[in-house]
Amino acid sequence: MTCTELQESLEQTEYGTSLEQQNHLRTCPECAALVRELNLISSSAVQLRAADEPSPRVWNSIQLALQREGLIHPPRPARTALPSFGNSRGWARWLVPVAALLLITVGVYVRQHSSTQVATNIEPAVSVEPTSEAALAGLNDADLLQEIAQQSPAMKAQYEQDLSRVNQYIQDAREVVATDPNDEEAHRSLLEAYQEKAMLFELAMDRSLP
Amino acid sequence: MSRRTIELIALGVIVVGTLAAQTHKEYRYNVGPKARISVNDPYGAISVKPSTGNSVIVNALLYSDKVEVDNTQTGSHLDVQSHLLAGATAETGRVDYDVFVPADATVTLHSSTGPLYAEKLHGDMTLEGSAAAVDIRDVSDAHVHVKTLNGAVTLTNVQDGHIEVDSLSGPVTLDAVTGPLVQVISTSGKIIYAGDFGSSGEYRLTSHSGDIDAIVPENTSADVSARSVKGEVRDDIPLQPKAHTWFTPTQGRAFMGTMGHAAVSSTVVLRSFSGKIHLRKRTAKSQ
Repeated sequence: MTCTELQESLEQTEYGTSLEQQNHLRTCPECAALVRELNLISSSAVQLRAADEPSPRVWNSIQLALQREGLIHPPRPARTALPSFGNSRGWARWLVPVAALLLITVGVYVRQHSSTQVATNIEPAVSVEPTSEAALAGLNDADLLQEIAQQSPAMKAQYEQDLSRVNQYIQDAREVVATDPNDEEAHRSLLEAYQEKAMLFELAMDRSLP
Repeated sequence: MSRRTIELIALGVIVVGTLAAQTHKEYRYNVGPKARISVNDPYGAISVKPSTGNSVIVNALLYSDKVEVDNTQTGSHLDVQSHLLAGATAETGRVDYDVFVPADATVTLHSSTGPLYAEKLHGDMTLEGSAAAVDIRDVSDAHVHVKTLNGAVTLTNVQDGHIEVDSLSGPVTLDAVTGPLVQVISTSGKIIYAGDFGSSGEYRLTSHSGDIDAIVPENTSADVSARSVKGEVRDDIPLQPKAHTWFTPTQGRAFMGTMGHAAVSSTVVLRSFSGKIHLRKRTAKSQ
């Protein structure tokens, strides 16, 4: 096997695993160094994927959004679903998980804030609108329903009902915390109510996608 | 030609046309130990069962040419993705999957419509979908995470699991489910637990407006607390009162105590805002 043949063969098999490749690599330090580098890159890439890559449906959603905008076309023989941030709708898809995370963070903050007030005997802080934290976190009910109405009009009524339920959950949980700020279970319940709303936004956006 | 005959011919044409549009595909892979398998299917059913050895078999039924199946294997990580093409709808983009994976594989399933089904596995699993019904059976030693908005969730014979179920309005039924942590959060769906609460786990069943039913056998040992802010609470099982309580039980709204042998008991917390909570003994009728 020549150096050229070895390099071509690397496209077909794993780097340096066949008998012919190994025989050549024993006698060719340049090719051996190349294979070592390729293996290093390959293993590092796998670790990067595992650590940083969002779920496949996120890529799929972004790709579909780009296709709808006409910016890319469905590639037939060899598709790729690489992420792109160059499109406004692509960014919009990222807003939902980010907002969901923010919402949970706000929930944790509310819980800690309430606990602090218990410790210092200050009045419980449940005087703001039930969903104001959600709004701060970027989870706007109207925006979600608008997105649903555009993508899946038939589902809008269902999501209006779901939102109403979960907002009531948050409101009631807040009232229970206000009634008894020392009740640890009430704080937990409030956090769970926020968790439900975050899940609603997360799955609703999935559902609204084509 | 009679009208009946014409109707039958028309029906036959529709059925044949539908079947002709469907495509069955099978993919086979070998993976290493502790494989990770994820299936993302916007529209359609996903069923996962154990395979033999380290093989993964993916049977896909595609309902039209508006959808394709993309599989990506990286080492022991296999991604199966329904790839919707332009113009795909919930009907034409549907793919039903039957997947066979090594029993210890970590499995992630996602489908908006579902249903999602997993059985006889003991790797960690995540199943989610907005309207997807979820059914998990005969699973052991696994982390099981379920998220659904409106789908019904059923877990049957899940042992030694770390279970977390989030459901917005779908009913959640746990039958013979035990483990170090069993947690269900539901906004308006009913929660039913039938089983003995294991021997040393933490069981938290929480709802906002959904009812909670816990049906336990005679020999159950557990520290139980139940409270509904505005709903009725009923306890058909005599509990031994606890010396210290973290809240003051209000008659008809809460109860707290120990059943069976406290030394080997689990902790059970049943909590609702306006749903009814009912703790009762299992009878032949309720089995």
